[in-house]
Amino acid sequence: MLNSFIFIVMPYTALALLIFVTPYRFYSNRLTWSAYSTQFLERNVLFWGINPWHYGILPVLAAHFIGVVAPGPMKAFLGNQSRLIIFESVGLALGLFALFGCLALLLRRVNTPLLKRVTFASDWVLLFLLVAQALSGVYISTFMRWGSQWYLHTAVPYLWSLATFTPQIEYMTDFPLILKLHAAGAFLIVALLPFTKLVHLLYVPVRFLMDPPILYRWRSK
Amino acid sequence: MDVRAQLVMVFNLDKCIGCHTCSISCKNIWTDRKGAEYMWWNNVETKPGVGYPKKWENQTIFKGGWLRENGKLKLRALGKGPTLFNMFFQPNMPKLDDYYEPFDFDYSNLYKAPPGSDQPVAEAFSQVSGERIEKITGGPNWDDDLSGSQVYAVEDSNLEDRTLVEDYGRMFMHYLPRICNHCLNPACVASCPSRAIYKRGEDGVVLVDQEVCKGWRFCTSACPYKKVYFNWQSGKAEKCIFCFPRTETGQCNACAHSCVGRIRHVGVLLYDADRVEEALLKPDDQLVAAHRDVILDPHDPAVREAARKNGVSDQWLEAAEKSPVYALVKEFAVALPLHPEFRTMPMAYYIPSLSPVISSGGDLHELADHGTFPLLEKMRAPISFLASLLSGGNQEIIADILRKQIALRLFKRAGNLGQPIEESILKNAGLDEAGADRLYRLFTIAPYRERNIIPTQQREEQDSYQRKGASGFGILKKTRGPK
Repeated sequence: MLNSFIFIVMPYTALALLIFVTPYRFYSNRLTWSAYSTQFLERNVLFWGINPWHYGILPVLAAHFIGVVAPGPMKAFLGNQSRLIIFESVGLALGLFALFGCLALLLRRVNTPLLKRVTFASDWVLLFLLVAQALSGVYISTFMRWGSQWYLHTAVPYLWSLATFTPQIEYMTDFPLILKLHAAGAFLIVALLPFTKLVHLLYVPVRFLMDPPILYRWRSK
Repeated sequence: MDVRAQLVMVFNLDKCIGCHTCSISCKNIWTDRKGAEYMWWNNVETKPGVGYPKKWENQTIFKGGWLRENGKLKLRALGKGPTLFNMFFQPNMPKLDDYYEPFDFDYSNLYKAPPGSDQPVAEAFSQVSGERIEKITGGPNWDDDLSGSQVYAVEDSNLEDRTLVEDYGRMFMHYLPRICNHCLNPACVASCPSRAIYKRGEDGVVLVDQEVCKGWRFCTSACPYKKVYFNWQSGKAEKCIFCFPRTETGQCNACAHSCVGRIRHVGVLLYDADRVEEALLKPDDQLVAAHRDVILDPHDPAVREAARKNGVSDQWLEAAEKSPVYALVKEFAVALPLHPEFRTMPMAYYIPSLSPVISSGGDLHELADHGTFPLLEKMRAPISFLASLLSGGNQEIIADILRKQIALRLFKRAGNLGQPIEESILKNAGLDEAGADRLYRLFTIAPYRERNIIPTQQREEQDSYQRKGASGFGILKKTRGPK
């Protein structure tokens, strides 16, 4: 029951929300499309939170994605034991870096009075969720060794089975609870993305790299 | 030749009395709402002083504006690549303390307080956190009229001799009203990774598209004048919009409209967009000349032809011909850009102020040979100070303008007293009688429609009462949180 909830209901619900709510929000009220930076109000702790968090989590997230997109090359790459060890160690270090960052961000929200009026329920939910996700990730990476390798043989085929609408949850059901929670957390984050400031993930500024510096807009042209 | 039109404001510092009426009318219309309490799209500073935000002129702190490098212009702060890697934490962004923590007073305590032996007071509270403020330590014009000059005015980066502000005999000050300069080469526009900030082609007004802005905050520090602000409530950048809903209908900007000293002029300038970058590559002390060079003569048929080709309407060309701004900036060349060395080519111009003479020791009120009016060198505000502020350090330009102002006064004084005036006085200052009369009229008795000549764009239909205190910009959707 729990298995089908986590591995069938949750991913499809999350995906549906992401696909349908995001454009709705984009077209109905883009005024809320912001990362809601609070650097203006508090910057000292933020530096130690936001940088470790982003620079820790982005490569880890990218590794998860590459595993899904290109499992073959990943398997070949990690077939070499020393490469695997280095890959795992770097991953764990980045995970710890991210965990440190989001803990700092959480404590910052608790301890800074100036942030009181710009902290909403969604900020708390996200912060606790991300701390939990980073914590479970670090736990898995520490105590369930060679995750980068077995991930390719379990979670990846499972995710592909989701994509083809033939969910094969057998790949996941035998895992310990902590990993199921990690997966549930991931689906929850995707589900919350279109409703919260996480929408900033959906915009990567690249156009400006090519653009001329000064942008004009003409009413007539 | 790529001729474009620009709406420009000129400030006559010689007439500014520092009453802050402009700031209040601006605040009342545009920034009287949550997240914007600390913003003063129009503010008035006392010079010498640190200004608002504190030390905005010191580009080693916030790294605003442009630099020349290998014959090219480059943002002082971050290139495009580094911008991507500093998105999470913007290293140069001014913080709330650099402005001030906005406050209000709890007036309800005056009638809600329980009976007691003390008179109840309205306590100050922060408009950001809502918490009580024990002691207010800053405001938008905290160093007004040189208050705390030993702490603030001495920090003015234009001041060569810091002892000036400590010596009553030599002390000087003047006011500096500031809005967004709606530059021709705006650093805020160039720094925006979302491409939310743009310059309107028709009138050159620089605006932030609130729907596109993602709140990456690079503009707040890239603007060397610190005239782009971060709204902590909406998570987006905001700035002076040159009152475009007013100017589009031919009305004057709220700040200029409400100016009791009538120091402001609004009008159209035509410029050559092709020559902007080349002009900005000149050394600091030639920048004012380069500015003037980019501005085109609206009477020139070739310019008019090129302007028409670019979609500048006849109404705008007519406004450009009559423009008081063109007269002040180019014809008489008495108005100067604020800190041209930041290389954004600001489109707000300032007429430097004459100041009292130094009256210390024996040389009490030593006057020029022609009597009554003082020698330039005896003016209290050092020319070097004005030059650092308005001409990229070129003192000759400042002296020229002050000479013109003095000659103008001598000319009108002689006229009023029915005395003959030596022709050489006007001539030496680069003026003639007709010109002096026109300049005098612009400086003094020119009525509203002569001081401001603003061609219309389109009629706005929205009710102004509905706009006021809403979300600004005429957008009536909610951002987030309680209203």
